[in-house]
Amino acid sequence: MAMSGRIAPSQANPAQPGASLRLRRLANHLGLFLVLLVLWETGSRLGWLDPLFYPRPSAILRSFWLVYFENANIWWHLYVSLGLVLAGFTAGSILGVGLGAVVGLNPLVRRYLQPYVIVLEATPRIAVAPLLIAALGFGAQSKIAIIMLVCFFAPFINTLSGVMNVPAEKLELFRSLRATKWQTLRKLVLPDAVPVIMAGERLALTAALSGVLVAEFIQRDQGIGSLILVYTRNLNMASAFACIFTLTIIGFGIFKGMELLDRWIAFWKHQDGRERVSAARARAHAEEA
Amino acid sequence: MTAAQADAEPRRAAPTVVAGDAIVKTFANGSVTALDRASFDIPKGAFVSLVGPSGCGKSTLLRLIAGLIAPSQGAAIVHGREVTGPRPDIAMMFQKATLLEWRTSLENVLLPTELSGTVTKADRARALDLLNLVGLKDFAFAFPAQLSGGMQQRVALARLLQTGADILLLDEPFGALDEFTREHLNLELLRIVGEFGATTIFVTHNINEAIFLSDQVFVMTPRPGKIAKIVDINLPRPRTLAMQLTPEFNALAEDVRATLGAL
Amino acid sequence: MAEHDLPQRSTPRSYWALSVLPHLVLFGALMALWEGLSIINVIDSIMVPRPSEIVSAIWRLYVTERIIYPHFVVTFTEAVTGFAIGATIAVVLAVASSLSDVFQRYVSPYAIVLNVTPGIALTPIIIAWFGYGMGSKIALAAVICFFPIYVNALTGLLQTDEDREDLFRSLGGTKVQVFFKLRVPSSLPMVFAGMKIGLTTALIGAVVAEFAQATEGVGVLMGRFSFQLQMAASIATLLSMTAIGLLLFYAMEFLDNRIVFWGRENRMARVSRARAKAWQRIMHK
Ligand SMILES: Nc1ncnc2c1ncn2[C@@H]1O[C@H](COP(=O)(O)OP(=O)(O)O)[C@@H](O)[C@H]1O
Ligand SMILES: [Mg+2]
Repeated sequence: MAMSGRIAPSQANPAQPGASLRLRRLANHLGLFLVLLVLWETGSRLGWLDPLFYPRPSAILRSFWLVYFENANIWWHLYVSLGLVLAGFTAGSILGVGLGAVVGLNPLVRRYLQPYVIVLEATPRIAVAPLLIAALGFGAQSKIAIIMLVCFFAPFINTLSGVMNVPAEKLELFRSLRATKWQTLRKLVLPDAVPVIMAGERLALTAALSGVLVAEFIQRDQGIGSLILVYTRNLNMASAFACIFTLTIIGFGIFKGMELLDRWIAFWKHQDGRERVSAARARAHAEEA
Repeated sequence: MTAAQADAEPRRAAPTVVAGDAIVKTFANGSVTALDRASFDIPKGAFVSLVGPSGCGKSTLLRLIAGLIAPSQGAAIVHGREVTGPRPDIAMMFQKATLLEWRTSLENVLLPTELSGTVTKADRARALDLLNLVGLKDFAFAFPAQLSGGMQQRVALARLLQTGADILLLDEPFGALDEFTREHLNLELLRIVGEFGATTIFVTHNINEAIFLSDQVFVMTPRPGKIAKIVDINLPRPRTLAMQLTPEFNALAEDVRATLGAL
Repeated sequence: MAEHDLPQRSTPRSYWALSVLPHLVLFGALMALWEGLSIINVIDSIMVPRPSEIVSAIWRLYVTERIIYPHFVVTFTEAVTGFAIGATIAVVLAVASSLSDVFQRYVSPYAIVLNVTPGIALTPIIIAWFGYGMGSKIALAAVICFFPIYVNALTGLLQTDEDREDLFRSLGGTKVQVFFKLRVPSSLPMVFAGMKIGLTTALIGAVVAEFAQATEGVGVLMGRFSFQLQMAASIATLLSMTAIGLLLFYAMEFLDNRIVFWGRENRMARVSRARAKAWQRIMHK
């Protein structure tokens, strides 16, 4: 349709920028980042930014060295916090997926549970933290309970909707093949819901990190959250930032890890996954024959 | 005429395998009559098409025969017994390929076997043969998302045959495909069901397609959905695309069209 | 052709009897069971207060002592203000990113960093920066509600329909026209989805910042009651947060309903009727 003589520019969306272009862009990104850092550093040195509240990049770098190697005090807190995250996430998401499946498969339960789900959805769930601490006391128990609570919801809702949104024609196919309830669940409903469930798990793991922080802010005993709190109280902002950037790195790791897991479990959603598994199954078949 | 009748004679002698006994189906507490007193006899090995505008109850009739829904009155009778639920001698294929995206073609074809017991080596061999039959030998280990729409329907066809059912119900199976692919698949379908000697009920809203494929065309009209006329198609077999240009074919098409137009 | 075959609305009475009553009965039964178990000491009524105690706490907080209202207003204001700031920045950046590839390329790494960092971790620092008052709560709410809105708005604005854009171009539409008449309307459902998530997130930000350090707000009240082991009052306060959440959510839902009327049967019918009427008025002038 180039008849008009005015060929519109295609949306600048180069499918595969060349290697040299990519290198140049990376250099640009780094350049911009460095400029920002230098601005910040000089701004602080010239007294435009109060270094007490807005630590210099150089100070943050030094604090990284301090908390990780010289004092090496962050390791213990990280260990504590991540242990709690793992425990709470596992328990909360298992509970969420299980209940989601039960509720999704049972219209009657669903109907009567719906108002409570709406109420729960509107409540900032993390706000239950003080209540749980009051009820269960200080310590790991109440922290895990808080993480479980914030982790529960996303897998629950996603499993519920995944299980409910199996295409009707596929259900009909299974019915026409006289599949049992269990077969339908195992071979159709669960695999069909897997991508949605995985998305819920990803949200849950991120929420778990927030959950442990809030629990530690309130309890102020140990863990990365209380460390940030203590550093800030002592106006050691550089170290507080070192802790926060640590969380950024962990958050990024979680993000990438969950993405990998998703590609592995829900392989059929991605082209490379399909090709990989397809080749593997063909090979397995050839070996058998 | 005599030649055609001679051709039709032995088929008429074949025993009835699918019959409708004044089947009525209503929806929404009786306010919608999807199917009004449908009665018919389909002999063994016949190819029957249901043709009519959308909403005239074609899918409803098919699902009643498949035992997926129960009639409000009357009964569908298969092999002399009333249909009360899905059964192993009936298999169904839908407009959407309804393949499971996480299974390869081969695994999709094996699904019916898997649901009714364990999969043996012989089952796998048979599934591969069927994939070969539908022309997908090289795609046995491809996932549905790696196949075109036409190829997906071929997998669905192979899965239909893997059930081993002798009554095949197809609900606009190639309706979403382009004309060329559809014509091609129709020819393949005729060859395959002929080879298997299956009794076939085929839903379409394309008059020419219905006549081309069938021994009998059930012309259905809407509001309320009913079988307005049963047209015998006495064209010789095997059918060729060129037959669509003959006066006999056109006369049959005219007959069907008139029934639909008269409403 | 019939005018509009609108589905018959069930009468209020049958609606009441069929869909609300069973829920109420179930709810009542559960509460009675809980109360009963508490009375016979199966449930520890100090840690898990009885429904009757919660009701009386609500009564006290809202009717007799009325201490919750100022806190309610504070938290509500914090959440809404924070949301307004975060959402404005998010939408502006999303629009800029959608218009300029270069801009998007240089903003997205920072947006991603902001996304993978648990925003809650910034609580102590934001309090140090913005003080113990409402400012820090608003700031945290703004920071953590930014990302979902940015991502949704950007996704919505970037989802292009080639055919429709071609149509605009074939009609000689300018870039500005394509943006306002095509991209913006088609992005609205996504934008609203982001806004709904953002509102909930903003409320969380406000409450968490109140837990950490504050003098007023429902978060403060809740912390205080919990540590005095006044569980009934604490739950009553929690329910007031639910009320804020529902209020905010339904306000957004209302806007969504009005603005993105297409794709919603009942709204569409209304708008179509209104436009038909307006048209007639023009014609008869
Ligand atoms: N589950 C159902 N509930 C209500 N009405 C239905 C249902 N299934 C089919 N119908 C109605 O029955 C009529 C026939 O439908 P169908 O058999 O699907 O038509 P066709 O396949 O010929 O297009 C239509 O008017 C349709 O709206
Ligand atoms: Mg149909």
